[in-house]
Amino acid sequence: MDLQLASFIAAGVLVVVGLYGFFFVDNIIKKVIALSIIENGVNLTLVSMGYREGGYAPIYLPTLKFQLFSTNMAYPLPQALVLTNIVIGASMLAIMLALSVVFYKKYKTLKTSIILKED
Amino acid sequence: MVKKMDNFLPLIVVFPLIMSIIFSYIYKSKIVRILTFLMALILVVLPFFGTYGTYFFGDHAIALGSTSLTSGIAYVLNPAKNVMVFTLMLIGSLILISATGEKKLNGIFTSLMLMGLASVSAIIMAEDIFNLYVFYEIATITQAGLVIASGTENAYKAAFRYLLIGTMAGSLLLLGIALLLSATGTLNIEDMRNFLANNSATPAIYGGLLMLIIGLGYGGGLPPFHTIKADMYSRARPFVASMLQTYSKFVLIALMIVILKLFGGLPYFNITRGVLIALSIGGMVFGTVMALLQNDYKKLLAYHTISQGGYVAAGLAIGTPLGIVAGIFHGINHAIYKSALFLGAHIVSKAKSSNMAKLGGLLPFMPFVAFMILCAKLATIGIPPLNGFQSKLLLIDAAMKANIPELAIIMILVSIGTFVYMMKAFYLIFLKPCSEEQIEEYKNIKISKYSVFSLAILTVLCILLGIYPDIVVDRIYPFAKDIGINWALNK
Repeated sequence: MDLQLASFIAAGVLVVVGLYGFFFVDNIIKKVIALSIIENGVNLTLVSMGYREGGYAPIYLPTLKFQLFSTNMAYPLPQALVLTNIVIGASMLAIMLALSVVFYKKYKTLKTSIILKED
Repeated sequence: MVKKMDNFLPLIVVFPLIMSIIFSYIYKSKIVRILTFLMALILVVLPFFGTYGTYFFGDHAIALGSTSLTSGIAYVLNPAKNVMVFTLMLIGSLILISATGEKKLNGIFTSLMLMGLASVSAIIMAEDIFNLYVFYEIATITQAGLVIASGTENAYKAAFRYLLIGTMAGSLLLLGIALLLSATGTLNIEDMRNFLANNSATPAIYGGLLMLIIGLGYGGGLPPFHTIKADMYSRARPFVASMLQTYSKFVLIALMIVILKLFGGLPYFNITRGVLIALSIGGMVFGTVMALLQNDYKKLLAYHTISQGGYVAAGLAIGTPLGIVAGIFHGINHAIYKSALFLGAHIVSKAKSSNMAKLGGLLPFMPFVAFMILCAKLATIGIPPLNGFQSKLLLIDAAMKANIPELAIIMILVSIGTFVYMMKAFYLIFLKPCSEEQIEEYKNIKISKYSVFSLAILTVLCILLGIYPDIVVDRIYPFAKDIGINWALNK
């Protein structure tokens, strides 16, 4: 199978699995993990977009011929976007996990149905 | 064509960001108080540093086929965006001044406020869609942080819910950006607009549009995300809520502008326009109905914010130049009078409760504050000569000119609903007779002069923009004419 197509399918599966976990799993940590999986699915979509069969990684080395490099390198923009998104995702994850710790200390459970219940 | 200009436009974003990092390391309350006050003064003049035009970071372009596409971070400043950034910074400055009057003021709070101001300014000025996404996410984290800073358990819950949905909405927005990038080969909004205008739509473009609308709904508090936003506003401290609603309103306007700029003139946008108007009506009606049912003043104001967000979105969704002017103008007006109302709620909350059933008879103890709150309430209802009247009139005019009288009627009905609950709140808080015990309690209320000062400035603005709406409208109109299209519903 075409590697790019396989990557897109894998990304789609990751997003669907993440959405399932987010909506149907009653555990605060698992919900956070599900969100992380969705995010990775989106990142994989982005990276796959820039993929080029047999292409070079978009880092120019003096040993490469410029003409050959510029016509065969993978599209670097999505990779730059993914790097930024990983940083944003990590900070979101950190805050959510910190809040999960606070909730666990208070309620002694990880069930979202109990923790996020309205007073 | 995007070109570099020698101006200090990036300072509008970079300066608050740098100061935000510095403030997060300052713990001494006295130093924080002085520096926060100084920052508040600087923020007001910051929008005047940028000259109009496009600022392109790096000034390099990549060539793709025969089309020259621009790549990198680009900001655009024009009179319309400058008015929005100035309003944002002014409200931020007034909230910071108000915060200096608080007993507990730490560097983290000021840091979060500045980060929010920087990110929303960047969202307003961003000309490349990925930069917009990055600051959209930073604004989400900042808003959650400001709610967490309230310190109550319910605030933690509201922030957690907001982050949960925010992470998902942010991921979907990024997916939309990825789809648009794959379809158009660029992230620059102007280049993307040119590509979309000259090429037929593909499934990736439809997907991208759908994801942008999801991001818009979350960022702007439109249905189905409205309850999460309302929850945030009601759980945060009132003067923090005034900042949160200002952020949301400008994010809503900025994202709507991006959607209109990219897709507004295309034939397949008509169905999307209908969906956006339906979402706006949903927000307006739901917000008003829920506000009518509330006994808690903070919750009432929170749902009122959702209702007014619907007005802003409706004006922009109409998409005619008049509709866009009305939408942006109402957004600016709403940010001003709603900040005044939340600041008023902050002063009223010194009476130990925000439950309107437990309040009453506050008028003799704070007549000046009551007058200013009444002005803000009349502005939000749309009573002349206040600013809300001018923008609501423009909105109704835009709906009528687009041949959607039903929308105009809904706007008027929602305004009547707003009149009922706002006047009910005013009566219950200030006019209802109170007991002797309450009078004794009220005598001990200490009103912060900083909050009163901020409230007074916002009230003056409500009156000023009501009498001279052209100050803002004239600056927005050329921009609205560029992205809007003249159309009318053919029945």
